[in-house]
Amino acid sequence: MTLVDCTVLSNREVAPGNFLITLRVPRGFSKPQPGQFVHLRVGVECEPFLRRPYSLEGFFERRGVRAVRIYFSVVGRGSKVLASHPVGATLDLIGPVGVGFAPRPRRTPILVAGGRGVAPLLFLSRRLQERKRPYVFLFGARSRPELYGYREVRGGRLHVATDDGSVGFRGSALDLLEREWSEGGHTPLNAEIFTCGPHGLLHGISDFARSRGIRCEASLEGPMACAVGACRGCPVPLLPGEDSGRYPAMCVEGPVMDATRVDWERLP
Amino acid sequence: VKPALQVRIGALELRNPVLVASGIIGYGREYERLVSLEKIGGIVTKTVTLRPRAGNPPPRVYETASGMLNSIGIENPGLEGFLETKVPILRELPCAVVVSVEGEDVEEFCELVRGVDGSGVADAIEVNISCPNVGPHGLMYSTDAGLARDVMSAIRPLTRLPLIAKLTPNVTRIAEIAEACEAWGADAVSLVNTFVGMAVDSRTRKPILGTVLGGLSGPAIKPLALAKTWEVVQAVDIPVVGMGGITRPADAVEFLLLGATAVQVGTALFADPGLAEACVDEIEAYTGRLGAASVEGLIGSLEVPEGRGVVRAGRGTRSAKEGSVS
Repeated sequence: MTLVDCTVLSNREVAPGNFLITLRVPRGFSKPQPGQFVHLRVGVECEPFLRRPYSLEGFFERRGVRAVRIYFSVVGRGSKVLASHPVGATLDLIGPVGVGFAPRPRRTPILVAGGRGVAPLLFLSRRLQERKRPYVFLFGARSRPELYGYREVRGGRLHVATDDGSVGFRGSALDLLEREWSEGGHTPLNAEIFTCGPHGLLHGISDFARSRGIRCEASLEGPMACAVGACRGCPVPLLPGEDSGRYPAMCVEGPVMDATRVDWERLP
Repeated sequence: VKPALQVRIGALELRNPVLVASGIIGYGREYERLVSLEKIGGIVTKTVTLRPRAGNPPPRVYETASGMLNSIGIENPGLEGFLETKVPILRELPCAVVVSVEGEDVEEFCELVRGVDGSGVADAIEVNISCPNVGPHGLMYSTDAGLARDVMSAIRPLTRLPLIAKLTPNVTRIAEIAEACEAWGADAVSLVNTFVGMAVDSRTRKPILGTVLGGLSGPAIKPLALAKTWEVVQAVDIPVVGMGGITRPADAVEFLLLGATAVQVGTALFADPGLAEACVDEIEAYTGRLGAASVEGLIGSLEVPEGRGVVRAGRGTRSAKEGSVS
């Protein structure tokens, strides 16, 4: 984890309100794991004042040039400013930060994406493909324009769902998971779940996994101030049990955590 | 010739007047790859309480216009955990270490001061009598001169370490509290802690912070913090450590100009981890431009028109001390 300057290589709206920004990072930026994030100073002066944590959609290295890619929706002050940066602009970031996904050997990874939560899972799917590991990719979104990146899924079995039925199955990512689990011949001993998306969806997926004893890692999202574990501003509430008397910091003990331990009711 | 930057806060000698504020940098290790501690005066640790605290329910932070609301609730390992796990880290730091403590009552303050003094790791103790996020006792001791006296007079005999009382700005006359701390043995006062603030989500009709109320920091509060610091430097003779909204290096100079002996950099460090070092550079350059041999020539050199900017709340409010002597 270091503080580095980065340069905007491209920044384009890939769907209404959703942007893909590519940032060139120097060699001092170490190779990130899928699920890790960068803490980006999106504003040049004080608007916005604090940095914003963004999960990585990918990391690329070609001919000595290193770049990270972020897929984001314009939802507030920070993302609005980030969307406005032209090619060539210089920003700085702290990263890579946090704990990423940790697939275990000899288990089929089932990736479950909801909306823009697809970003770190696309990163993970490319890593799995590089390692020639079979996987399942389940992607649910509200409608067609939100299905960013699914055509790039290679080397895995892909199922798509939309709330409005405009593409694929009509339903949610959780519906896809239930169907995949019952028809795919998976067991808690030979498969595990990696998920990211709205916390409501993650809550449902986590309940599904816990009730069946399936290992399930989720990438969480929330406001952060320091992103290095110092300020304690991003607590993750845990379910009663071992360790429930404390709040792990989402930034350094997450953002990827055991979903079945998270108390989703108390997580904003 | 480079100007001398050393300042003294009681027996605490700082190589330069820039500290990192409590709650920003943890216990020193969290930011080790991002902040060059050997370049700054020192750090103030995250506040230590007697018993471990899990902290407040989320959300704990929220960005406002040019500021940040927080309600962390002093998540910390407690005195025993601090002595066991944090002291060995702090011992290795290449800068002054000020340990911040906060008790729920006078007895707890005493136990904390004894524990921190005994650890040998502290160069000074910051007495946090001003946290707005830990329930009624948090703010209590620095909103009443008599209660501030109770804490200071109880802990003063327990240590020879410099005691820095950290004050809340959420009072009508902060000078009165500062004077009470001075009278009862504080070597310095530091201010301001955060302003009590609140944020509302009209969409959900709910407060945004998990605890409803929180503390506001960041550039939004700098003018308020300067005014409180100005009020206090006129009222007391002990050193004043100024803070609140320092965001650019020149902001640190402003606090020194109006009379603060040192400054603490807080929230803005989250955005700009190099800020504390940049403040040191700016103070050095500014002192050089003044032609002063030492930063002492900068401190308190604000040119104020005669008779203007006088805060009437200062002086003549020594009742806290006098009252108890009689």
